[in-house]
Amino acid sequence: MVQKQRQDAAINALRMIPTKWAVIIVVAIIGYVLLQPQLNKRFGLSLPSVASLVGDEKQTSQKKQEKLNSNEKTSTTNADSNASKAATEEKSDKDDSVNKAPTSQPQVSDPTIGAERDSEKIHGFLTEVGRNRFESPAGLVYGPGSEEGHRLKHIERHLEDQPKRPGSHGVFEGDMHAFLVAIDDAYSRAKRGDKGTKKIQDEGSTIYEASFKKPIGFLGGQEGGRKRNPPLKQLRIVVRGKSLITAFPF
Amino acid sequence: MTSQDSKIIYVESCPICGDGLCRIRICISNQKVTGFILCDECEAMWTDPLMQERVPTNVDETDPQCPSCSQSIWGKNMHWANIGEICLLGWFDHVQMVDE
Repeated sequence: MVQKQRQDAAINALRMIPTKWAVIIVVAIIGYVLLQPQLNKRFGLSLPSVASLVGDEKQTSQKKQEKLNSNEKTSTTNADSNASKAATEEKSDKDDSVNKAPTSQPQVSDPTIGAERDSEKIHGFLTEVGRNRFESPAGLVYGPGSEEGHRLKHIERHLEDQPKRPGSHGVFEGDMHAFLVAIDDAYSRAKRGDKGTKKIQDEGSTIYEASFKKPIGFLGGQEGGRKRNPPLKQLRIVVRGKSLITAFPF
Repeated sequence: MTSQDSKIIYVESCPICGDGLCRIRICISNQKVTGFILCDECEAMWTDPLMQERVPTNVDETDPQCPSCSQSIWGKNMHWANIGEICLLGWFDHVQMVDE
């Protein structure tokens, strides 16, 4: 209702100005719509989107999330009920999961790197670069693949403990956005060869490891249970080319 | 659903990534059943349950290919092995089982 009134007011205002000026204003608005995401991305600005200016931002980001969910649905061939449950829980991003660690906040070593949640992006962090493919600021690509059908779904398994799973299962403490930020941070540092990082080449894959100053998660799985879920301060990332295969605390 | 379906059957923890389980993946193509070992985390592959011979993967591959049919390891011809298939492969002595 309020939005309709605003639209009517805008139309009336346009009627009151000469046609030449109306055309210029419309062209300027279209130009802004097209350039705003590029300017934000290239120069790190935070220019508001037209949708947010007209108070429609919530709907736009909701649509994006719905799009991601539908994309994930179409690409998932063998997604089990646990994966879809995790996806549903993650949608809100704010719910506390049953098996999550006792502490509440993820503690990445440098939370300033890309930590700002951008509602225009997937999980507030990733940019869509192709059909069902999403790129992080550091250049990691999350695309279709894995048993779950999509790499994002696969790494989502590391947001919860799997106490019955044999061996170890690294669990990240935090939501998907914080996990993606931590992965990007670790990947950037390990690629540069910073102190506390390691790079291992393995049969077409590259394994990056990076330490964090504070715990980023805990050891889960059967082994973790036996050891009383000790905190973990390192992240291991497996990539092929620029495509992420998996990532987990260890 | 049988009780087998709710079990994870694996050979050992992955020596490459340390977090995955090396499980037996079955490929059925051209009426031929073949098995190979696949880490369910980092997708490292071996041709045998002693895990002596690695299957190379290409850096450009989003999904690694089955060493037998060259299709995606996550394709529709593929599934995790059940006990019967593991016995047929003669690999039963190499596996461990836990409830999922």
